[in-house]
Amino acid sequence: MKGDFREKFGRGLVLGGAWTVLAFLILPMVVIFPVSVTDQYYLSLPKDGISLEHYAAFFTNEIWLSATAQSVIIATCATIFAVILGSLCAIGCWRLSTNLSESVRTFMLIPIIVPTIVQALAMYRFWIDLGIIDTYIGVILAHTLVAIPYVIITVSASLANFDLRQEQAARSLGASMPQTIRWVIVPSILPGLLSGALFAFTISFDEIVMVLFITSRAIYTLPKRIWNGIEDHLDPTIAAVATMLIAATLALLLLDLWVRHRRQRRLEQAASVGE
Amino acid sequence: MLASQRHTYWLLIVPAVLLMLVFYIYPLIQVLWISVTEPYFGLQNYEALLTRPLLHRIWLTTLRICLITTVITVILGYLVAYAMAKVGERQRTTMMFCILLTFWLSVLIRAFAWVMLLRNGGLINSALMSLGIIDSDLPLLRNEFSVIVGMVHFMMPLAVLPIYSNMSGIDGRYVSAARGLGASPWEAFWHIHLPLSKPGLIAATILVFVFSLGFFITPAILGGGKVVMISEYIQVSFEETLRWGQATMLASSLLFAVLLTLALVARFVDLKKVFGAR
Amino acid sequence: MKPNKDLSKTLYEKDLYPDEQSFAEDCALIAAERLRRGEIDRRSFVKALGMLGLVPVALKFGSGSAAAQAKELVIVNWGGPAVEAYANAWGAPFEKASGTKVIIDGTGPLASKIKAMVEAKAVTWDVCDTGTGTTLVLAKQDVLEDIDYGIVDKSKMAPEFAYQQGCANYMFSFVLAYNKAKVASAPNGWKDFWDLKKFPGGRTLRKQPNGMLEACMMAAGRSPKDVYPIDLNLAMSKLKEIKGSVVAWGSGSQSQEVFRTGEVVMGNIWHTRANLLRRDSNGEILWNWQDGIVTAGMWNVPKGNPAGKETAMKFIASAQDPASQIELFKVMGNGPANPAAASMVPEDMRYIDPGQPENMKLQILQSGYWYEEPSGKGKLTNDELSREMWLDTLSS
Repeated sequence: MKGDFREKFGRGLVLGGAWTVLAFLILPMVVIFPVSVTDQYYLSLPKDGISLEHYAAFFTNEIWLSATAQSVIIATCATIFAVILGSLCAIGCWRLSTNLSESVRTFMLIPIIVPTIVQALAMYRFWIDLGIIDTYIGVILAHTLVAIPYVIITVSASLANFDLRQEQAARSLGASMPQTIRWVIVPSILPGLLSGALFAFTISFDEIVMVLFITSRAIYTLPKRIWNGIEDHLDPTIAAVATMLIAATLALLLLDLWVRHRRQRRLEQAASVGE
Repeated sequence: MLASQRHTYWLLIVPAVLLMLVFYIYPLIQVLWISVTEPYFGLQNYEALLTRPLLHRIWLTTLRICLITTVITVILGYLVAYAMAKVGERQRTTMMFCILLTFWLSVLIRAFAWVMLLRNGGLINSALMSLGIIDSDLPLLRNEFSVIVGMVHFMMPLAVLPIYSNMSGIDGRYVSAARGLGASPWEAFWHIHLPLSKPGLIAATILVFVFSLGFFITPAILGGGKVVMISEYIQVSFEETLRWGQATMLASSLLFAVLLTLALVARFVDLKKVFGAR
Repeated sequence: MKPNKDLSKTLYEKDLYPDEQSFAEDCALIAAERLRRGEIDRRSFVKALGMLGLVPVALKFGSGSAAAQAKELVIVNWGGPAVEAYANAWGAPFEKASGTKVIIDGTGPLASKIKAMVEAKAVTWDVCDTGTGTTLVLAKQDVLEDIDYGIVDKSKMAPEFAYQQGCANYMFSFVLAYNKAKVASAPNGWKDFWDLKKFPGGRTLRKQPNGMLEACMMAAGRSPKDVYPIDLNLAMSKLKEIKGSVVAWGSGSQSQEVFRTGEVVMGNIWHTRANLLRRDSNGEILWNWQDGIVTAGMWNVPKGNPAGKETAMKFIASAQDPASQIELFKVMGNGPANPAAASMVPEDMRYIDPGQPENMKLQILQSGYWYEEPSGKGKLTNDELSREMWLDTLSS
């Protein structure tokens, strides 16, 4: 029975270690919440009771609100452009599936590996020449470019499960290419599109390095405010903002899981109907 | 299908590709170009990479921090992935949820959380003090320690996800067979499981190392000017001292370092798989 | 305790990546805060300045000159209340005297932007409100006009701040600030600052060497009048001595923050920020002028400025008027650059004016010449080499 004990011991060790690591991952997010409801005016745990004043500070402050609004506008536009351009590109590459189109698809993934600071530098230099420094267009364009690869990846993954013959059938029945895409392809790759959109939105909404370079005064996104807050004046309002962002991330994550779950169920249903 | 019909599909690809060429690739080339033309044409900016001790040190700091981060992250990530592969469905879902939540959360928020925990008078220091373990603040922030903590925290999901996805495909019967033949749990793990999970390990190592190299936010916030990595120095030479030749040279060398790493490992692994593109 | 609502305003006015924040930008921040706290009454302030516009400007220029008169002149500063303050203190008098409309642009004269503008030949600014560091960096890039000291009066500023491509618009100091409650006695000068035994606790120094090197020299035993030429190796060895206790500040508000959180007990910071700390802490945190390093904000004129070089120079000359500088001091807290203004500072504000004779005699004037000189190492100036070595030492 000695071996059995060792095995149990080893298992306990592995599990304990794994949960310790996971606690290390989660802990920082967990402690933000109590700090955000502190009754003190500096970063600390609540002393004499909890207070929502730092949330109120966020919601009554035009500066935080306008930063949030700017971030939402930018992320929404960047998501729309990235999803349209990225998914069209993915569909094109998938349908052509020649060596050349394969290379094109790989080429489109370059932004994933280029260090952000290098991108930021490059864009800053070029955006000056174009005169779009510190404008919505400049930031949306930058975010669209870095989000496209993620849309291509998620959409391509969806397309891999899509039966090419459906598309061919539609085309042979006289449907034009736009019609085929709109009515045949898009509905079947919707989960991939949604995942891609989520990715694009998150990337743009959280992006800070490029924003630091290509904006100055007119464009002031939420991450930029948080960044300055961390550098200059640590304040429980940032903890309140952080808590809300964590909650939003949780919500998005649950949404994503739900979408996946539903797709799974549908596939199963389809399979059982097919039988 | 007709060839002409097929060709119409190129129309779908062109807009994105053109956008990428004009607004992404061209500016990158411009950076490379500036690095050899400013202040005048030649390789003098690159020469500085060899001759200037400051640049040596910054590159060494960057590589050291990246290596330490990679080693710690991959080992701990492996542990988590291994546990995930062993436990039951419900526990696994919870674990996965923790990983994904970390993965999706903004890097700034995570850095902020660490500042809150580690700073003087921060949560860790005040907790230790109220427990009577220490009587003055431990210097936890603005040093390599805090930078590595922040980076490991950021990179962990990037290590766990590929390792786990590889591990969940490993047939458990190999290990059982080894055990049945009298191997100790450790032997079975070392000789059977570990080699089988190598692809995931390699993928994780590449991802973490490559992303660490160009990391900006976490070192800038948690390093507080005391730990300067290459990205931060690029920013300083570009915006503060206006030495665009030097800034673009450092940016190019960073880009080359990433490409070189990838080129080296591409000989052993399918990179597209690593980056989730296949 | 009332919740601290400073953050929003601080963030709102703050624009740049804080590491390269200049003093000029910091002044805008401080004034924004004061306006918010109601320390400056906007209406009476504007009224007073309106009256100032009636005061004849000492200088006569432009009128009658046959030279083509520019229609408008764009001054760029760091925004916030500084826009209004500059418009009233400096814009209105110039407009009255010359007929040239003055526009204050608050988008911030970021060095990299000035360089990019000049190189793209698309300059939209005429006069930029920067600092000595930025002036030297830009001068090296060859993107600035020389100051025309035929128009601008050199005698109306400390000669140390009459650079070839920039000249003083106001003055400020790097001073030794300390937390009274956390030091045994009031430190006196940089030797005390370096004495970790007698005054244990954290220190804060700026991320850039400008204003710090001088302190290192004095700590190393140089007498204030022999600070220059700075021995960079000696300065670095002094920095190494206390590096373990040093927290680096990038922006003015950061220098306040590290005092507030108790991370440091002493710091080499801007006097305007030291004054805010004194007030916010009810006198717990103080500073003294002993061995302070006086330096100046700078006017720069980018090459190819739209209104023409001459108009820009005339504006700079008009901004030398002591009355205008006093008005700016009252609102923004930055000391008048014109020595003639010192006696016009109200009695109760003299203790925060670095240019007062009794404060001045305790301090040294920063020498831009030294920073401009070649370091003998490669093609680097002392300014460039010192930035590099400072960053290297601080982060090693």
